[in-house]
Formats: sequence, structure tokens, C-alpha cells
Amino acid sequence: MSNEKRIGVYVCHCGGNISDYVDVNKVVEEIKKEEPDAVIVKDLMFDCADASQSEMIDDIKKQKLDRVVVAACSPKLHETTFRNMAKRAGLNPFMLYHVDIREQASWAHENNRMGATLKALAHVRAGIAYVKSAEPLEKIKAETTRSVLIIGGGIAGLKAAIDLSAMDVNVVLIERSSKLGGHVAELGEIYPYYTAGSEIVKNLVDELSGRGNVAIFTNATVVSYSGYLGKFEVKVQRETSEITLQVGSIIVATGFDTYKPYTGEYGYEKVRGVITISELARVLSTAAGDGSAELIYDGRKVRQIAFIYCVGSRQKPPEDGGHANQYCSRYCCNAATSEALTVHRKFKDIKIYHFYRDMRTYGRNELMYESAGRSGSIFIRFDEDHPPLVAEEGNRCKITFWSSLIENQPVDMYVDLVVLITGMVPSHNEELNRALSLPVGVDGFYKEVHPKLRPVETNVTGILICGTSQAPRDVRETLSSASAAAAKAASFVLKRELELDPFVAFVDPGLCEAHQECIKECPYGAIELIEESGKKMAHVNSAKCKGCGACVAVCPTGAMQLKGYTNAEIKSMIGGLAR
Amino acid sequence: MPEEEYDALVIGAGVAGMEAAIDLGDMGFKVMLVEKEPTIGGKMLLLSKVFPTLDCASCISGTKTSTVSHHQNIRLLTYSNVDEIEKSKSGFRARIIEKPRYVDASLCTSCGDCEDACPIIVPNEFDFGLRGRKAIYIPFDTAVPKSAVLDLDNCIYCMQCERTCPADAIDFLQVPKVHTVNVKAIILAVGFKLFQAEKKKDYRYGEYRNVVNSMQMERIVSPTRPYNAVVRPSDGKEPQNIGYVLCTGSRDKTVGNPRCSQVCCMYSMKQAQLIMGSLPAADITLYYMDIRAYGKGFEEFYRQSRDMGVKFVRGKVAKVEQKVNTDLTVYYEDTEGSGGMKKADHDLLVLSVGLLPNTDIVKAFNGIKVELDEVGWIKVRDEGKSSVLTSADGVFAAGCTTGPKDIPDSVLEAGAAASQCAAYIIKKMGSPIEQ
Repeated sequence: MSNEKRIGVYVCHCGGNISDYVDVNKVVEEIKKEEPDAVIVKDLMFDCADASQSEMIDDIKKQKLDRVVVAACSPKLHETTFRNMAKRAGLNPFMLYHVDIREQASWAHENNRMGATLKALAHVRAGIAYVKSAEPLEKIKAETTRSVLIIGGGIAGLKAAIDLSAMDVNVVLIERSSKLGGHVAELGEIYPYYTAGSEIVKNLVDELSGRGNVAIFTNATVVSYSGYLGKFEVKVQRETSEITLQVGSIIVATGFDTYKPYTGEYGYEKVRGVITISELARVLSTAAGDGSAELIYDGRKVRQIAFIYCVGSRQKPPEDGGHANQYCSRYCCNAATSEALTVHRKFKDIKIYHFYRDMRTYGRNELMYESAGRSGSIFIRFDEDHPPLVAEEGNRCKITFWSSLIENQPVDMYVDLVVLITGMVPSHNEELNRALSLPVGVDGFYKEVHPKLRPVETNVTGILICGTSQAPRDVRETLSSASAAAAKAASFVLKRELELDPFVAFVDPGLCEAHQECIKECPYGAIELIEESGKKMAHVNSAKCKGCGACVAVCPTGAMQLKGYTNAEIKSMIGGLAR
Repeated sequence: MPEEEYDALVIGAGVAGMEAAIDLGDMGFKVMLVEKEPTIGGKMLLLSKVFPTLDCASCISGTKTSTVSHHQNIRLLTYSNVDEIEKSKSGFRARIIEKPRYVDASLCTSCGDCEDACPIIVPNEFDFGLRGRKAIYIPFDTAVPKSAVLDLDNCIYCMQCERTCPADAIDFLQVPKVHTVNVKAIILAVGFKLFQAEKKKDYRYGEYRNVVNSMQMERIVSPTRPYNAVVRPSDGKEPQNIGYVLCTGSRDKTVGNPRCSQVCCMYSMKQAQLIMGSLPAADITLYYMDIRAYGKGFEEFYRQSRDMGVKFVRGKVAKVEQKVNTDLTVYYEDTEGSGGMKKADHDLLVLSVGLLPNTDIVKAFNGIKVELDEVGWIKVRDEGKSSVLTSADGVFAAGCTTGPKDIPDSVLEAGAAASQCAAYIIKKMGSPIEQ
């Protein structure tokens, strides 16, 4: 190796966390002995302390170091710290390598000091080998378009549009049906506001109208998309024409479908007087009542109603591994108790028997549950293996149920109306899912990258999800998640330029023989086949590439490599480790 | 000190406050983030693993704590109280008192030598009293900033720490620093308080050592746990038969909280699963009213808990008695199974305590009305519009400020608060900061 390389090596004690088990001085002495290019080899109590960082910056400047190895804790903790330090010292941050001798050496081998020391030494050698073959890298810069496409004109899409528009972002909202508002527009009073769904939709639409930076297209669907965060190109089919939109980010707010019971499920479509909660909501929204009225349904005076919960939700997984809606639909217990309160408020002397599994009136909704119990509702719990049976008898519905309170003996009861509390199912978006390569979870709803860290992001950076397309939610929660998606989209597109990590794949044109294995393997559609001076070869779109390395592994000629982890760098590290 | 200017003031640096600050900072707004504790991360940083994904809480908070500490648009003040907020020309003027740590955080390397030297031991609030700390202490292993802090109330001025510190970071002459900041909008992310289990007298918390609350249990099963093993407090025995009393301090008018706390069912099942990992032979019983596994992936988690062998008994625990060997007997009504009054023995009892409001911050508002609801959470102005709007214009709420919430919902609502706050600032000031 030439003498041009001037390496600084800093081995950290971590206040004993490392030096209690790793002989830090020995590591320093060994490296000093064997590595002529290491101009400076030091041990420090805490590499990360501000004072130590200042010392390193001083060394880099005075000793003209061009490469640095920091041997300390996990890079997850402080790699950014040290790269920023390098930047401040005027060194390309990617000429610094951070090796882990705490989690991987001292903490892992507390009972073997010699082993821990040798392992730490090997890691430092690998780090030195890496920086020797390292090349300076620059972050990838991508321009952004300050506009967002929102797919779906229900309350989630409307809310996201309002927020983005207010944040000075241009919005295109498309809705596949002919009108805005989705399911909520058709609902009556919604807990916990006691305002009609149509009213909530109207308020949102009013707030949106008259804004110069929002375009709304109904009867419009996505045909295809290309591009990447900051610069998507989306083809949209409108009634007769196809248009192309340039947007920086995409929010998917396609909502849910209501579960439709199969014929015969709790007597649905077989027994007269069996309806779903949506049908009850429609009846109640048009019925006037001041507490003394009578409820007539289908020509039958209603005195007793049975609510049956968890219809289409919390289904037991079948033993043959077939599909079941195992998830809880979250909104239904609350919606049902709220509808029960409406019945009690509007009509006189109606008893409601709630056949439930667990009352999930979480948070403040608990008060509705409690209030229903005092207003004429009776709650009877059933076990998932013993659901109530519904049959027609005379002019009434017969319910047979088993309750532990009555020693699990079957009991018959007669009611005038049976309301099935149906859950949410994912909406049918196969074409959209194909067009946008949207990830769908086992429950059929869209899958986020991480439910806590990145709850509105998908594995395609820049394509966001919100509302009930992601999971069952009520109105309040849907609005919040729509706003959260708007915030994330705004944080992308309000910057003119995005900085992306430089660890992306690149092609050695001399080696590429256009086998196209990489194109098949790439999960992000980042590689395409191009022709350059008459030769076909792979080409990587750096803004789309996530640096996963799948292409590198399948390339038969070794033409595909990853910046920052080139074959030469990895081989030299292995050499360092195996020394 | 000169007055400082920011676009937004975020009060509370738990998971919701951090998320809101990051979202605003990423949009190009200048944010002041204030935390009253000496470390950021809030309650989440003290948790073991989090449901339903069972990822390690401090590991996944790590990216957030490190982002807010290094973000170019976020100024972070820890160990600081927002003392007064009043209206000003730009929106609000806030007075923030930065308490003295008596340690220069820029010099402190958190080596822990001062802790070793200090002769005073007091209960550690970050371990909920399970173990002690010194009068000078680093709050916990994953604290951010990781710097010692001196608790002057318990200090005897022996000066051992000052003599020992290799970095010369100890500074007894520090005084409170007053920051006056002008901001356009405020986000409250003040989190919650735990229900004080002593108030539920029949459960004998604080009297029987083997009756612990769920936050203590959380510490016992966490990677940075106080005993370095899952053992019970009275005698260090490995518990083999653990009971959980759900709805302690929730859905209970006798203690003044008729609401459900939303998270206890799930965290209890999560702890049960974690204990089964550490103590495979242990029996775990949950005494519950309804299992409220309503969020994404929660019902599946509930089924998994049953499949793993967690026992679910539907019934409320009436009283607890202690035996000579410090085991416990619980009396409960079995509303299913064979029914009736029953009793069962456990060697450790965990009270799954609920979440209560932590909204003292409203007292700092001078001439601005931030209303509370009937339980004491911050009241939402118009839920049909957004659940992050408070009664005061320009003041937004995130996370548990308006009521109990799990982490996914807190993070979503933090994003919502950032979005409403950004729109508000832009409407007021014209175009966004970063052009």
C-alpha cells in the first residue's frame, strides 16, 4: 500500500463499557505496530464526547488525515455523530468507518477478555481495510414537485386535501365514483359527535371548495405510475380521456367496504327482520322521534331488538388455513352502542338485547356503553364457539343463546328485529394495488412500513396510506391519520430538493452482459435496460434504488455493485478480519 | 438573555412530542422542543417491548431521540419547565426555566464515576422505586442526553463527585436559566400520569411488596431491568404464578375515572408474553372485564396470547390478602366458568393501572383559555374537524394530551398536530419558511 493514505484510528473506552473487557491499550499498540498508514492511533474515554470530537477534528486538519476509523459502540447509535464530525472537519463523511467493539465485542464476551480483545482488534483491522479502499461518496439529490395526488374522495382524502392545500401544496384529488364523501356521507348520526355523516362530509367539502390549489376529479382511476419520491408521474383515466399528472408524493385513501353477511348468516336474507347496522342507521336517520314514537319496520311494530356483534370480524381462523377476518373492526362496539342510544332516545319502550363477545367501547366511548345499560339495553355475552342462533317463528325472530350466567343452557328469546353489527373489510382495489405496487397485509388492509415509527408510509418511499384503507377506524381516527399523511407528504414536497443516502447500486458497463437477472429481482423497479453506444446494459435509477443489494447477489458477471459496499471493499474487510 | 424566535413550541418530548417536532422540522419550520425531565423519550423509553409488534421500545425510540437531538431545525431544552405563556404580536411569548443540572452536559461523558463516589441513595423514579439511585445520577442507560444530573434536594455537599469527575463537569454554581421565546403556535404533548394504585385500597399496593403496578413490571421485564432477572420484590424469588388485575383505576367510578384507558388490556397481554419468554414455566392469569384488543393486529395478538397459554378469567378482583410466605390470595367473582365468588393464589400480582391526565401546563397559560374536559384531559374543540384542536386558537394537542392512546395512535395524532400547526402558521405568516 502506498504512503498516500493517512488514517486516523480512535478506539473508545466507553467509560469502561468497552475497556472493562477489551484491552483497549493492546488494540492500540497492535495497530500502531502493524499499520504504517495509521498516522494516528489513539484511545479515548468517550469518542462521542464533544471534547473528543474536537480532538479528532483537530487531528484531521493538522495531520491531514484522509480516512478515519472509529471503534466504539454500535454504528446505529453514533455513526451519524461521527460522520457529521468528519463533515465539520472537511473530510468526506463516507471516508469514515465506524466499527462496533461494544455490542459485538465487549458486551458479547464479558466472560472472555482475551477473546473480546482479539475480536475488537479484528474489527478495527476490517475497518482500516475498508477505509483504505473506500471512495468519497456524495448524497444523492433529487428535485421535488410541490404537489400531491390523493386517491379517494372519502373523509380521509378530503381531510388530507384540506391540510395540504392549507400548507401551500398543490393537490389533485381523484375519486372513482361520481360523488365525494364515501361511506360516511350515507351515515346518520355518528358517535361521538352526534352530527350526521352527511353533515361532516358537507363541512369538509365546503372547507375545500374555492381553494385555488386543489383540483378534484370524480369518476377517475389510476392507470399506472412511474418515477420516485419527489417526481412521480401518474396516468389517470377520466371518463373519456387519460391525463398524466406530475406529483411529488401520493396519498392512498381508498377506504373500506362494509362486510356483507352471507345468506343465512344469523338468518340474513332468510329470516324476515334481520338487517345490518348500516340498514338500521338508515332507518334511524330518517325516523323522527322524541321519545314517545313507535318504531315500525317492515310493517312490524318493534318492541324488542337483538344486536349481534362481531359479524364478519374476529373470525376464528379455519383449521384448513383458509381465509377469515381475524381482526377486530374497532368501530362497531362504539357505533352499535351509539345506535342503541339513538333508539332509546327516539322511541318509547324498546328493549335492546346486545349479544356481544367483548364490549370494546374504549376510552370515552365507555360512557356510551354505561349509558345504554341505563336506557333499556341489556348486554349478554357469548362465546366464540357458541354464537346465538336466529330463526323465524310466527311473526317474530327467535334467538337461541347460551350464556354462562344461565349455566350454559340454551335459552330462547323472541324479538322483532335482529341487527347484525357488521365490520369493515378491505375495499376492492386490485387494479390500483397493481398499478401502484401497494403492499397488502394478511388482513387485506394496506401495510405500513412500521406501525409506530412510520405509520403512514409504505415500502415505496413517497407513497403514503391513511384512513380505513390501512385498518378499521372511526371518523375521528380517520381524520387524524389523514392529517398525519398530509404532514408527511408536506415534509417531502416542501423541500425543493431531497437528500438520499448514497448507498445505491451501480453498473460496471464493461462487465454487464444484459442478463437482466437484476431487473427481475429488483423489488423497487429501479433498474432498466438501456442501450449505450450499441451495447445493451442495465441502468440503475439512483433515486428509486434503496440499496438492498438483491441485484448484486444475482448478477452472474459481477457487473452490479453497491456504492459504499463494493466487492473490493467487502473483500478487503474480510481480509482484515481473517488476518 | 435575548428573546429567541421559533415557529412552534412543542411542550413534552415523549414519542408524540418528538414526532410532531420532527414533522415540523422536516417541513422547514424552526421548533423549540421542551422537556421537563432530564431526559427525553417520555414513558415509552422506559418500556420493555411494545405491542403488537414486540419491538424493543428503546431501540425504536432511538431513531427519534437521536433525530430530535441533531435536527438542524429543532432546538431541544431538557430539564426545563414552561413557566408562563401569554399572547404576543407573533402569537405567543413563553417563558421557559431551564433547571440547573449542576453538571455541564457538554463536558459530561456519562462515565458514572460520580455515581460511584456519591454516598447518598434515594429511590430511582425512573425505575418506579424498584431500585435506588445516587443523589447525582444518570437517569437510565438509554437516557438522552446521557448526562449526569445532580439532585440538590438530596445532596449533602460532600463534594465527592466534584473531586472524582475526570471531565471536570460538576458545577455547583449553576443557576436556573430563563429563556424567553416568541412562537407562532404551540403543540401540547404532555402525555399522561399513571393512576396511583394506592387509591384502590383493596389491592394493598404499597403495603404488600409483591403487589406491583404495571409500570414496575414493565421495568422488571425490560432489558435494562433493575434486578437483571424477573424476580419478585419481597424475597427475590422467581415468580411462578402471576396474576394481573386489569382496569385498576379505569372503568371505575369509585376512583373517579369512569373511562377506559385503552392500553391496559394490550400491555398486560404483552407483558404476559414477555414473561413467558423469560420464565417458561410460569402461569399467568389475567382478571379482566372485556378484552379490548381493537387496534391493528391487536385481536391477532390476543388470540396468540391465548394460544400461548395465558389464562383469562372474566371477573373483577375484590380483595387481596398476603400469606406468611408473602404469596398473595386474590378473591374475585368468576362471571363465567362455574360462576360465584372464588379465590386463587399468586406469588406476584400486577395491577394494570390506567392513564390519567397530566395537564398542569394549562396553569401556565396567562390570559389564554385552554379548556379541560370533565376528567381533566385537554378538551378537543371540534372533533368533526380534527382531534388535535384545543379551545385556544394556535394551540394544538398531540398524543395522550387529550386522552389515553396507544403508541400508534399517539404517533398518528402527532402527525396530525404537526399538519394542523403547519397550516395555521402558513395561514398566519404567508408562505413556508424553507423556499
